[in-house]
Order: sequence, then structure tokens, then C-alpha cells
Amino acid sequence: MTAAASDEVVVCPMAELPPGERCEVRGALTYGVTVFNLDGELYALLNHCPHRGGPLCRGRIRPHPVSDRVGYWEFEREGEILRCPFHNWEFDIRTGEALYDEKVRARTFPVEVRDGQVVVRVRGRRQVTR
Amino acid sequence: MAAVDSLPRPAERAPTYRKVAPYLVDCDCHHLWHKIDEIFPYLPRQYVQEIKDFGSMFPNGGWTNMPNSHGYRTDHDVDEDTDFAEFTVKEHLDPYGFDVAILTGQMVYPTVGMTNLDYAAAICRAHNDWTMDHWVAKDSRFRATLAVGPNDPVLAVEEIERLGDHPAVVGVMLPAGGRHPYGNRIYHPIYEAAERYGLTIVTHFGGEGRGQTNPPTAAGFPTYYLEMRMARPQIAQAHTASLICEGVFEKFPTLTWVFVEVDTWWIPGLLNHFDADWKAVRDYTPWVKRLPSEYFRDHIRVGTQPMEQPGSREDLHWFLEQARADETLVYASDFPHWDWDSPTSVAPDFPAEMRANIFGETARAAFRL
Repeated sequence: MTAAASDEVVVCPMAELPPGERCEVRGALTYGVTVFNLDGELYALLNHCPHRGGPLCRGRIRPHPVSDRVGYWEFEREGEILRCPFHNWEFDIRTGEALYDEKVRARTFPVEVRDGQVVVRVRGRRQVTR
Repeated sequence: MAAVDSLPRPAERAPTYRKVAPYLVDCDCHHLWHKIDEIFPYLPRQYVQEIKDFGSMFPNGGWTNMPNSHGYRTDHDVDEDTDFAEFTVKEHLDPYGFDVAILTGQMVYPTVGMTNLDYAAAICRAHNDWTMDHWVAKDSRFRATLAVGPNDPVLAVEEIERLGDHPAVVGVMLPAGGRHPYGNRIYHPIYEAAERYGLTIVTHFGGEGRGQTNPPTAAGFPTYYLEMRMARPQIAQAHTASLICEGVFEKFPTLTWVFVEVDTWWIPGLLNHFDADWKAVRDYTPWVKRLPSEYFRDHIRVGTQPMEQPGSREDLHWFLEQARADETLVYASDFPHWDWDSPTSVAPDFPAEMRANIFGETARAAFRL
């Protein structure tokens, strides 16, 4: 059993979170907290979209499509962009930033692996209420 | 219209979220099937065989939407075994504490573009019977809008007369795409029947540029989905101007028209211009006896979704005042679509004193709930 401080949440064993996968702790901080494994690096986000309150972390993970001419696509940052299930906004999993609204940013948390467990520090368990 | 006391009433359950208004109505709750096979029991044999042989032959538009089933949100855990009606109750009606959800369909909007008007009418009839059996019968909070084919008003009136007396039927759905602006006299028998049965006309974005309908903009066909979405308000504006200039609300003084999913920002601009020009050139249409904005406020309501998102709360409140939102706007969720607005997500956008009307009372009056 991993020792967890009062402001920490044990998410899952690291063995259950391979690259490209995500793991959610339902109900943590009311909305749930989700950890994403991007090529071995872990990122934790609050499952609450700062735009319209959607379950952000259950959205699709997509690349970032860009273009320098009409009718042509290039795909950057494969697997790094989270699309909210409500309204489809694009978020940077690493920073929580909305790609196309600089005022909007999802809440992020420090995450580490301790004794083979993924542990998120949620900074004093501040309850977010509506 | 009387309350639907004869229908099964679900167990009272405390909503998951705090109710945003004492009486909560959703004016745009989509209902859908997995496959068209579900309406086969209600469809004439010949059409069942044609669909089996050739597919449904619903005219398509060619614009993208979302990848899940029929635009369902990507976080919705739905598959071919999901009972969509039960899912809607569990995920939408119960958690937010809705008192009424107006079912607006979506599957049969493209029938407005069909060449074969008998087939279009048969699909609408089957859709309505399926709605009664598979949705209305399952929860007393569901209310139905009748799908009809506006391009054959005689058949449309027959359908209104067939089901218009059902206590759960509160409206007639006319998708925004069509062959003429909706003030045109060819449609008036539909309005006469709707008024006779105490039904409200609901116009949802849909059907534009499919089959025999007009292009979605007067400038022509949009190329991209984003561009297509921007076409919605101008279609609603054209229908609004037509309804008022053709004297529909003088001829049918108790008729109410609810537009959904057509944006709302255009309301103040159109009405300011409409009133000003009426003072100058009303003599060409003297049967338009009052300021156009007065007809609008008395007869037309507009769904809130997609909720406007100007830069600041102050800008939003200025707009809501200009649009007389406490009289003209009705809450619409667009559930279960990806671009929906939940009650709790948009309630903070409205001044507290407007919420009871926008989230329920205005719709209660418009649909005689």
C-alpha cells in the first residue's frame, strides 16, 4: 500500500498506464482527475472543461491539424491534443491550455510514480463547487 | 392542453444538479433511432422493400459533423444495444430535473428535400408512430413534435389531424430547409391545422441544401462545416421576415413559432432594421398592421443553444437586454449532440431575474404545457 499524504490521490499502478493510455479517479476533486501517459511522461488534468464544464478528460485524443494552403492538412503533435466531448475545443494535455483561447486553461496537477503507483498531488484537496 | 396524466410517470428522483429554475423545459431534446429498420413496423410494405433494396434514399448534404452515432457526444457510452430513450432519461432528464423535454427528432429532417412526397409523408408518419411507442410511452416528461412533409400541405394536415389530439403532442416540426420561406401561403393550411389543435410550429436547423430544398445561403452552397453552421441565422431571419410580411400572425393570431439551433445574436439587429423599414415602406404590405418587433415578441421564440459567447459578461447582458431575452428566448439543450448546452453550464450567463422565464415559463406558454 502506497503511503499517500492528505493532498494526494493514488490513481493506479504504473503497470496499468502504458504510453497512450489514461486513467481516471472518478470523484476526485468532485469532477475526477485523469492521468495521461504521453510517451512515458505523465500529466494530470482535472476532468472539468474550463470552457463549459464538460468532462474534458473523457474526450478523444487527437493530433493537431495545421495547414499552409487550402485543401491540405499536416498533423502535428500526434496523441498530445485532448478534444473536449462538449464543443470539441482542443487542449494541450501537457499544459492544460486551450489551443485557441489563451484565457482558458484546464487545471493541472503534479504527478509522480512512487512504489510503482501513480500519485497525483492535488494541492490541499480544494473542493471545486458550482 | 391538459397534463399527460394517463402516461406512466417515473419515480420521483432528486436531480444530481441543482435545478436552475422551478419549472425546467428543454425545447430541443433530440430523439433518434439506431437504424431505420426500427420504423419498419409503421411503414407501408412497398417502402420497407424499397429501403431494403436501395437504402433510405434520404438526400444528404455533404457536410461533416461528429464521429459518434448521429452526433452523440464522444463521451457518451452508447452502442447498438443502447436504448436511446432510457439513456436520455438517465443522462439528461433525471440529472438536471427537467419537467418537460420537447422531442425534436432529427432523423427525418432530410425528408423535406425528397422528390417523392408520398414517401416523405410515409416516413414522417412512421417516425411519429415510433416516437409515440418508443419515447412518449416511456416517460411522461417527453412531449412530441409531429414530423410532417411541408411540401405537400394536404398530407401534412392529414397527419396533424391523425395525431394532433394526443395529449403529448405539442408541436409540428418544420425543418428550416425548404422550397419557400415559411410565410408563403402554400403552407397556410398547415398553420390553420396547427392553430386548430393548439400546436406550436417548431423550426430546427436542418434539411437545407439537401435534395430539392434551396441552397443553405442565398449566395450558394457553403463548402465547409464551419461555414455551413454560419448559414443558420440567415435562414431563420429569412423565415422570420417572410412570416411577418406575409401576414401569418394576422391570419393565425394564436399561432406560436419556435426556432431552435439557429443562433440568437441576429434578433436585435433584424428587429431594429425591420421596425425602421416598416415605418418607411409598410404601405406595400398594409396587412402588416403593427411593428414587426411586436409580432416577433408576441409570436416567435428562439432556442438559446448554441449560447452566444461574446467577450465579456457585460457584453452578453447588453445583448440579452437588446434581444428582450426574458420574453423571446427559450432554453434548448440540443442533447445529446456534441455542441449542446447543459442547464448548469449556461444558467450563469443569464441575469437571475431572467432565468425562470428562459428556462421554463416562456416555453410553458409557447407550448401550452
